[in-house]
Amino acid sequence: MSGKVLMIDGERISGQDVRTQNVTAVTAISNIVKTSFGPIGLDKMLVDNIGDITITNDGATILKMLEVEHPAAKVLVQLADLQDQEVGDGTTSVVILAAELLKHANELVLKKIHPTVIISGYRIACTEAIKYINETLAVKVETLSKDYIINTVKTSMSSKIIGDDSEFFGKMVVDALARIKTIDYKGDAKYPINSVNILKAHGKSAKESMLVEGYALNCTVASEGMPKRIAGAKIAFLDFNLQKAKMKLGQKVVVTNVNDLEAIRDRENDIIKERIQLILKSGANVVLTTKGIDDLCLKYFVEAGAMAVRRCKKEDLKRIAKACGGTVLISLNNLEGDESFDTSALGSADEVVQTRIADDELILVKNSTNKKAASIILRGASSLLLDEMERSLHDSLCIAKRTLESGTIVPGGGAVESALSIYLDNFAETMGSRKQLAISEFAESLLVIPKQLAVNAAQDATELVSKLRSYHHAAQTDATKKSYMYSGLDLINGKVRNNLEAGVLEPAIAKVKCIKFATEAAITILRIDDMIKLNPKEQQQDPHGH
Amino acid sequence: MSAPSRGDFEEKEKEKDVRTSNIVAARAVADAIRTSLGPKGMDKMISSPNGEVIISNDGATILQHLEVRHPAARMLAELAKAQDIEAGDGTTSVVVIAGALLGAVSTLMSKGIHPSLISESFTLALSKSLEVLTNMATPISLTDRSSLVKSAITSLNSKVVSQYTNLATISVDAVLNVLKDPLTADNVNLKDIKIIKKLGGTIDDTELVKGLVFDQQSSHAAGGPTRVNNAKIGLIQFCLSAPKTYMDNNIVVSDYTKMDKVLKEEPKMILEMCRKIQKSGCNVLLVQKSILRDALNEYSLHYLAKLKILVVKDVEREDIEFICNTIGCTPVANIDSFTADKLGRADLVEEVGTADGKVVKVTGVPNPGKTVTILARGSNKLVLDEAERSIHDALCVIRSLVKKKYLIAGGGAPEIEVSQQVTEFSKTLPGIKGYCVRAYAEALEIIPYTLAENAGLHPISIVTELRNKHAQGEKTAGINVRKGAITNIIDENVVQPLLVSTSALTLSTETVVMLLKIDDMVTSR
Repeated sequence: MSGKVLMIDGERISGQDVRTQNVTAVTAISNIVKTSFGPIGLDKMLVDNIGDITITNDGATILKMLEVEHPAAKVLVQLADLQDQEVGDGTTSVVILAAELLKHANELVLKKIHPTVIISGYRIACTEAIKYINETLAVKVETLSKDYIINTVKTSMSSKIIGDDSEFFGKMVVDALARIKTIDYKGDAKYPINSVNILKAHGKSAKESMLVEGYALNCTVASEGMPKRIAGAKIAFLDFNLQKAKMKLGQKVVVTNVNDLEAIRDRENDIIKERIQLILKSGANVVLTTKGIDDLCLKYFVEAGAMAVRRCKKEDLKRIAKACGGTVLISLNNLEGDESFDTSALGSADEVVQTRIADDELILVKNSTNKKAASIILRGASSLLLDEMERSLHDSLCIAKRTLESGTIVPGGGAVESALSIYLDNFAETMGSRKQLAISEFAESLLVIPKQLAVNAAQDATELVSKLRSYHHAAQTDATKKSYMYSGLDLINGKVRNNLEAGVLEPAIAKVKCIKFATEAAITILRIDDMIKLNPKEQQQDPHGH
Repeated sequence: MSAPSRGDFEEKEKEKDVRTSNIVAARAVADAIRTSLGPKGMDKMISSPNGEVIISNDGATILQHLEVRHPAARMLAELAKAQDIEAGDGTTSVVVIAGALLGAVSTLMSKGIHPSLISESFTLALSKSLEVLTNMATPISLTDRSSLVKSAITSLNSKVVSQYTNLATISVDAVLNVLKDPLTADNVNLKDIKIIKKLGGTIDDTELVKGLVFDQQSSHAAGGPTRVNNAKIGLIQFCLSAPKTYMDNNIVVSDYTKMDKVLKEEPKMILEMCRKIQKSGCNVLLVQKSILRDALNEYSLHYLAKLKILVVKDVEREDIEFICNTIGCTPVANIDSFTADKLGRADLVEEVGTADGKVVKVTGVPNPGKTVTILARGSNKLVLDEAERSIHDALCVIRSLVKKKYLIAGGGAPEIEVSQQVTEFSKTLPGIKGYCVRAYAEALEIIPYTLAENAGLHPISIVTELRNKHAQGEKTAGINVRKGAITNIIDENVVQPLLVSTSALTLSTETVVMLLKIDDMVTSR
């Protein structure tokens, strides 16, 4: 049936055609990100339409920049984005897995197996797989030595640009997280990773990056006359302008006497002066504001020997306020209708200092008593490098957070996928219906992860994966060889090893989500048997008739 | 020249063209969505003109987005919509049945039977079918929760979200919650059930909140509270900011010493308003969205935060009634009438973080049972949208059961039974009418046929076996799509409300009769 009979303004593809088309589109997407997968994956250079360059190997970032048009491919892009939001890492693997699942499903359809059978098979396989991860493969972190977090972070970093210095950055990430640990009202430990401020500064090598105890602000003091360092700082956080009082629109002052003019000017100055006096009187010696401070007001601060910083980012200010125990004020009015400055709104810090890093001056708010903020200052040779470092650190922070919050981990390096593949293969044999085929295809699809890892590392993928499978087979059949179930790939040496001992670890929740999301996306696309593309609405009639 | 006998007629060329073109167009639509029928139906992906992608297998949704141009085809789209409004489910079936009936019509017309005779017979057949359906149905009581859940599951079976049984129980609980009295109720206002979508998590995380959920986060620009126990909730429809006059105005200050007074007037005024709010005991404030000016300015936020009042701003106007019903508050349009008796109550108001921003949850309302909120979650936007549509369908199914408290079997069983009994009935009719009624009965077999086809079964053998079973008196034999065989469908818990089936038959027959009556089409512009 074509669009003509249906009388719609657009084209329609149905049945096998649309399925093949979707699979092709999805495979194309996965092929793009495939080579950047794993510790020895390579990076992509993306140039957008205004000429900006991004170099990355983060799947979500690559796909976001691609501007895909095919609707099925768009589902995959959303998938990567979702994995990024929910887990923060594993964006490439989720895309590769979903594409592989679809490819295998399409082959089954070509063998005349109805898509609905495949869908139910995939669903069963997915729930079984997740059950197996949670019940058998996952390891409670309590049973492991202390350095498990640093190992998960290192595993996540290994695929990124900072992989070579993973020891260095791993420690940095773990230290940063330890600083921002908070306990919520339910008594659970939370790690709000956006309290870690990542700043980028050109110059020096990546190894010179540092963790700052406290918060780094990308601003400078408002006037040269102000002190650059204040110890025992009392900080006021303002979210309003410090400038000469202005009348609101529609309000006029009519002057009848020339002498009054001067009086008005004085009064304008006095209003703001009184405000500043209020702030200073409360004991504040550092004033941070999101808005401006005009020259006149600066004078008062300079005279009082206080430090004032204008045009701070609002988010930064909120975080500093939280870390130092202060509150951000949007006005000075109190409940009596007058203006006052409450000392309880002041935050305290050991030291507020302006330091020079590379070409930029930064303000550091150092605080050792009240740990709730950390800043990482990244150094690097180029802005492209810095951007990629920032993304990598963000991923690692997310991974560490998930590990700490969920408390279970699994071995990495393809270990989980191969174990699941063997398990599901055996499980499929217990099914007496056509779903058996779908489940074994699911098992087969999972192997794409170790295979691709090996291919990217320039190892013999077929042999390595067979070896890995044999180890896992032994682990699941022979009770004495149980420890083999943690076997994964050692990509540098091209061998199979116990990845739990080697410290290649991932949080279990990341794996579970990855499999869940990939299956869900594959099923969404597989269920489509008809695609109708409506033509864009024509522009409103051209008045000139051309 | 002898006058042609009744029922024998020669069509004029033009009339024939119009009818054929109408039938062809309408059948094309029915064919297009046929593959989406049933639990194993497939989805359609529609890429709309502005590039937005919709994935759905809900007949009404698909047709709504298809933008068919042929007027007759549009009637079918309208038909799906009508079924959606009336029963909320079975939108695909109604279009598929209409398509099959039109197929029967074209065969009948090619045999030279007059359209008006066909339509007369179809109406007759319809009334007989409804009678058969009603006889088949078993009454249920709304207190029988498990039967309700079963029919909700049947409705959800065909959707992407079918593996999540939690949606069915949530829908049933939602409807039962808003029912005033399950024994006497004969309608449900689905407006009392609000569905809020939030990206992130999986569909498993969808939950029923006996209270309110606000899509937006609380305003804490000034560091106000984000969690309030024993909340007293006020809902205001005025703005807490400097008033504006309609006309342009100028305030002229003649004396510079009065500048201070002018500057301080605004905060002072707002403070007074905030004071009044606090005095009433209110600690959670909902502020209606205002397009004329800012509903809140920095002063009011500042004061409200100082007074430890949680603020949710930008509440949509259309939600006001729902909110009032839920927490028992009265909207206040003027600060002077803001008194304690206008406040609603809740045990807890708190801001909860999700992957896609924060939501404000109001739980523990004093007299629950008037309204509920379903917080739908899904891993991507497409799944989430489809989940919302599916919940809506499930809710409608339950509503149909409230309206008409009868259940019938699903899985093609009612259609086959109707088809057989109407065929029997046709034998009692004299002349051409009997012939037309039989064609009607045969057309109904399209439902089991398509069900089998979509499930990857052999349609002809399945339908034949089904006919055989029904001829032997097994009224509840239907297609068990999961097992791929004919079984007693009631045992498999595949049940649907009677209203869905009757309304599908009535609406599709009426549409077909209407299409038949058209013999000329004039396009005017």
